[in-house]
Amino acid sequence: MAKQNVKHAQNKKKLSPALLWRQRYLLMMSLPFVIWLIIFKYIPLWGWTMAFQEVKPATFAVPIWERTFVGFENFMNAFKDRLFAQTIINTLGISILQIAVGTIVAILFAVFLNELAFFLGFKKLTQTISYLPHFVSWVIIASLAKNIFNDGGVLDTIFGRNLRLMSTNSPLIWVIIVIIDCWKEMGWNAIIYMSAMAGIDTGLYEAAEMDGANRFRKMWHITLPGIRSTIVVLLIMSIGGALNVGMERQMLLSNATVQDHTMVLSWFSYLRGIGNSDYGLGTALGVFQSVVGVTLLLIANKIAGLISDDKLV
Amino acid sequence: MKRRKLIAVLMASVLSLGLLAGCGSGSDSGSDSDSGSGGSESGESSNEPITLTYYNADTNNDVWDNPVGRAITEATGVTLEISYPVGSTGDAAQDVALMIAEGKYPDLIYAKASATNLYEAGALIDMTDLIEQYGPNIKKMYGDEFKKLKWGNGDDGIYQLSAYGVNASTLNESGTCQIQWAVLKENDYKYPTTLAEYEKMIKDYLAAHPTTENGLETIGISMSASDWHWMITLGNPAGFIADAQPDNGQWIIDENYQCHYKHQTEEEKEYFKWLSRMYDEGVLDPQFDTQTDEDYIAKLSNGQVLAITDSLWHYAYGAHVALKQAGMLDKTYAGLPVTLREDQKAPTLQYQGLQVGWGIAISSSCKDPVRAIKFLDYICSDEGAVLYRWGIEGENYELDENGIRYRPQEEIDKSKSDPDYSKKTGIGNYQGFPIWGDGAEDENGNPYTPTTRASIIEQYNEEQQAACKAWGVEMVTDIFPQPDEFPSLPYSALWAYQIPQELSNAEALLNEIAWPGLVKCVKGGEANFDANWDAMVAEMEANGLRDTEKMMTEFLADKIN
Repeated sequence: MAKQNVKHAQNKKKLSPALLWRQRYLLMMSLPFVIWLIIFKYIPLWGWTMAFQEVKPATFAVPIWERTFVGFENFMNAFKDRLFAQTIINTLGISILQIAVGTIVAILFAVFLNELAFFLGFKKLTQTISYLPHFVSWVIIASLAKNIFNDGGVLDTIFGRNLRLMSTNSPLIWVIIVIIDCWKEMGWNAIIYMSAMAGIDTGLYEAAEMDGANRFRKMWHITLPGIRSTIVVLLIMSIGGALNVGMERQMLLSNATVQDHTMVLSWFSYLRGIGNSDYGLGTALGVFQSVVGVTLLLIANKIAGLISDDKLV
Repeated sequence: MKRRKLIAVLMASVLSLGLLAGCGSGSDSGSDSDSGSGGSESGESSNEPITLTYYNADTNNDVWDNPVGRAITEATGVTLEISYPVGSTGDAAQDVALMIAEGKYPDLIYAKASATNLYEAGALIDMTDLIEQYGPNIKKMYGDEFKKLKWGNGDDGIYQLSAYGVNASTLNESGTCQIQWAVLKENDYKYPTTLAEYEKMIKDYLAAHPTTENGLETIGISMSASDWHWMITLGNPAGFIADAQPDNGQWIIDENYQCHYKHQTEEEKEYFKWLSRMYDEGVLDPQFDTQTDEDYIAKLSNGQVLAITDSLWHYAYGAHVALKQAGMLDKTYAGLPVTLREDQKAPTLQYQGLQVGWGIAISSSCKDPVRAIKFLDYICSDEGAVLYRWGIEGENYELDENGIRYRPQEEIDKSKSDPDYSKKTGIGNYQGFPIWGDGAEDENGNPYTPTTRASIIEQYNEEQQAACKAWGVEMVTDIFPQPDEFPSLPYSALWAYQIPQELSNAEALLNEIAWPGLVKCVKGGEANFDANWDAMVAEMEANGLRDTEKMMTEFLADKIN
């Protein structure tokens, strides 16, 4: 018996007909998901051919093989665009700021709620209220935010002067956008950290208490290390999505003065792709975004692997 | 138990009744479409019933079953099955993109600005021969402007009619900019005609009335420039006031038919420098570029804003209605013939010819183009035109002793107070149809549309009546330079043409630079104005300004010939 077990362990990584046969039920169970993945995630990648073709309304309806191939022209046109460099800077700037601030605030909030554990009703209420904004459309959030931050808004009235929070042509608008985003998503993002904290062995806290650790010591030495792997995995994933900054809030919070600093990649590809009816160029930007995203993901993963053992793949 | 049974029986009978009713209406519509497809074979001859599908980008109802609809069906045999944009944005572009992707089109299409896409996808048919053969009334209606319907860009075919009124006299009272009646009254109805006079009038009133009666801060000039409305309140007035040019979108057309992008002329530079000074002096609302359009309309509705540079259609429905309800009629706005210099003529009333580019078209999948063109021909005939715009004689309008059409007061009130008036009667309910313009008359001097000079004067409010009396004129528009003072133009308003994609992309790029550029010029202080202006023009030049102007000039030249 023991011998067999050892043998199993050795064969674990080797793919053999016998192994496949033994796991046939497991394989069959996973089959629908693999098919789903292929149909909905891989077959549509065929559409990437549009990035190398000229696709305008006139040629939109014709079969793929009848369109003209233009090589990398769509990519070149996108990279040469007057807005492209600034767009990349904005996208990365907002993204990094948002990942940093968003993660820290969400963790702090989760720790705060976790410490309230003894007072259950209040904790539940706070949590529910805090993640409600996540379900509210950006259109509504943006008009609320404009009432507060815009020229002549609530903050201007409180301070009695024009703070120009949303009318200064500088990265200040990034900060405003990130603050609004933090407020909207903080409660939602904290949920995952909270569930990770729920998995920490309570015996550890008791032991620490016996050793005379105070509240902050327990947070620092038990709670935070306990959710470290969760933090790292979520960070890696959000770095992979660094270029996917949503465009609706950018459009809704923008105006002529700050537009230089609100244009992000997704908005740019909408503007030049759909707006100019140049679907090829729009697709090229989508491809670019995906390639950069995967690269960033792999780099972040590598770095995480070097620093600690917490890796995504 | 018994009771339950009773209920069950009741329910069953109700259900079966419903079923019967369902069957009834079902078979009705069935026979309708049957006879429709039957009629398509015969083509030439008759008024056999036929159902044509119609995509209308400009409506939100599909009602055909009303007196006008029935009368049209009686005369032509055609019943329209109408569809309209239902996407979240109400934007026809999405529907059109779907149609193109599917390759299936309704019989008749009014796609507004998306017509270019349909044309490029080969979805529209050339109507020239059909009109030649079956459309005498279409030719008669368009008259001299018939040739303007040609597509252009090397294609002489006619792919769509026009959705805009033929022979319209401009009754627009927007002027080039606006001021509250209250301000004019305080100046004994002396109205400004130059920018300097306009400025002085605003400043004097502002000094005398720092707050309104309800305690709000008075604002000199305000604008809505945080979204696309910048073109209406910041961009367009510059063309009207500084260049004294009619609305050609973003373009100035000189006497040699050369097109110039407008936000770069010397006159506009002077105008924006003035605006920049107004900003520095606190006359221009400091929130002009950040406030939302709703906030802007709310300010106007409070009676806070003395002067605006806007167009009637933008402020009339929100602000004017609210002001009237609040009893602040004197805070509504009067259109002014203000220009930069004294020797310029405010171009508000200049006749720009028939607007073409948006109109009804017959698609390549139309089941019977001959019947479709005959249908359109009927709409263009005197009988059809009167039916569509006036309604049914004796019901919606009457004839006076000279045989001139007029609407009884009762009908006018109904048309104004009932939001479903056009749906119920069918009058004017089918946007996209070829129509006569407001003020157009037939050979007997009988108006084709209910909106005439007389009907407008009748509807003036007290402020407008008082002003007409003070000025000694019939209409408030009589203080503007009149249409006959302007040369007649061989081209239509440039903004209404279907412009090739490449050119409209190039223009969009210039707009993208001009919008923040102009805001920066205005807000950057008068001292930095020249530097900011030069930087903006340089940026436009680096992004194809001259090439785009050349392309636009060629496009126009093609339209004129």
